[in-house]
Amino acid sequence: MNAVLRSINDNHAAPLAVRGLSHGYEDGQVLSHVDLAIEAGSVLGLIGRNGAGKSTLIRAMLGLLQPHAGECTVFGEAALKLSDRSKARIAYVPQQPDALAWLSARQMLDYVGRFYPTWDAAYAKTTLERWLISPNKLLGKLSPGERQRVDLIRALASRPELLVLDEPAAALDPVARRDLLREIALRAGEAGTTVLFSTHIVSDLERVASDIAFLHDGKLLLHCGVDETKERFARLWLPAAMSAAAPASVFGRHRHEDGSLSLVVERDASGRWPEACALPGARIDALGLEDLFVEIAG
Amino acid sequence: MFAIQPSSAEPIYRQIVEQLRRLIAGGQLASGDLLPSVRDVAGFHAINPMTVSRAYGMAETEGLLERLRGKGMAVAATTRSTATQAQRMALLETQLQALARHARELELPGDAVLRRLGKLLDE
Repeated sequence: MNAVLRSINDNHAAPLAVRGLSHGYEDGQVLSHVDLAIEAGSVLGLIGRNGAGKSTLIRAMLGLLQPHAGECTVFGEAALKLSDRSKARIAYVPQQPDALAWLSARQMLDYVGRFYPTWDAAYAKTTLERWLISPNKLLGKLSPGERQRVDLIRALASRPELLVLDEPAAALDPVARRDLLREIALRAGEAGTTVLFSTHIVSDLERVASDIAFLHDGKLLLHCGVDETKERFARLWLPAAMSAAAPASVFGRHRHEDGSLSLVVERDASGRWPEACALPGARIDALGLEDLFVEIAG
Repeated sequence: MFAIQPSSAEPIYRQIVEQLRRLIAGGQLASGDLLPSVRDVAGFHAINPMTVSRAYGMAETEGLLERLRGKGMAVAATTRSTATQAQRMALLETQLQALARHARELELPGDAVLRRLGKLLDE
C-alpha cells in the first residue's frame, strides 16, 4: 500500500523544484530566494549572463551542493538524499566533465552503459561518429569541447527521464548543435523527457524550449512559456511630448537624444497594453526574446 | 514546407498558422492535401513537437485543417474556394504595413517602391 502511495506521489511530483533557494560563495551572494518548479515533459531554457548563477542553481537543484537556505527536490525526494532509483532516471552534463579521464570515449560509453537498463548503444556509436570524436583517444587527451560532446552522448544514450545540460551549446559546432536540439525536442515531445538546459544562445532556446527562466544577479526575474513571453512583452516608443505619460516600467527604459522615450511594456491580465500605447505618436514594436533578455540583463 | 525563424518576435506556432493560411488561400495547398507529420516538421526544424501540434490544432479550430483518422492532418474540404480576394488580401496586411513603414523610414518615394514591387510580382 505504501509503495503504491509512494509511486502515485512520485508521478505527481515535479521532476525538479526549488523553494526559497539562496546560496553564496566567499565573494558574495550567488542565488537569492529562487523559487522554480519544472513540470514533467517540459523543456526549460535557463538563460542569464555569465556569472548570473546558472551553474550554481543547476548544481543545487540536483543536490550536488548544499545551499545556504532553501528546499530542493528531485521527483519529490530531497535533492541531497536522492535514492539510487531516482539517480538512475537523471542524466546531467556539467560544463566541464572530468570523470573517467583514463578511459577512451568508447571504453567509457561501454562501461557506463552497463549501469543503465535503458542504454542505447547504437545511438552512442553513431553519434560518436557524427560528432567527429576519435573513439579510441583517451578522454583526458580530448579538448574540453570534445570531452563535453562525449558526455552529452553519454547522457542522451542513457535515455533519461530528466536531462539536465549546463551550457551544452558551447562545445558544439552548428551541425552537432542542431542534432542536439533535435534530440531534445523530439524526446520531450514523444518520450515525455523533462529537460533543463542553460544557455546564453537565445535562438537555441527559442527552437526547443517550452518555457524560459531568466536568471539575473542570482534572482529569477521571469519564468514563463516561450510563446507567452513573446506575446506578453513589447517595446513602446513615445515621442518627447508624450513621454511624461509613460507607464511605470520595470525594465528597458531609455531616454533618447531627441527626448523620446522607449520602454518595455507588458500586457495586463486581460491582454491589453497600457493606455499610453494609444497616445498620438506612440508606436509599439514586437520584441524578440534576445531583445527582451538584453533589456532585462543589460 | 514551412519557413521557421526562431528568433522572430512572432511565436513559432503563429508563424506556422500564418503560413498555412497563406498557402491554403493561395491554392498551393488544396483540399485533401496531407500535411507533414508533427514529428517530421519538428525534426526537420529542430523545434518542439508541442509547438507544431499547437499550430495544427489552431488551424483545425479555424477550419483550415481537418484530422483524418489514421492519416494525420489534411487541408479541410471547404477552405480554398471560399477565400475571396479580399480575404486573401487581408492576409498580406501585416507585411504591407511593415513594408510601408520601412519605406517611410528610408524616405523612399512611393512610386519607386511600387515599381520595384511590381517587377517582383511579375517574376
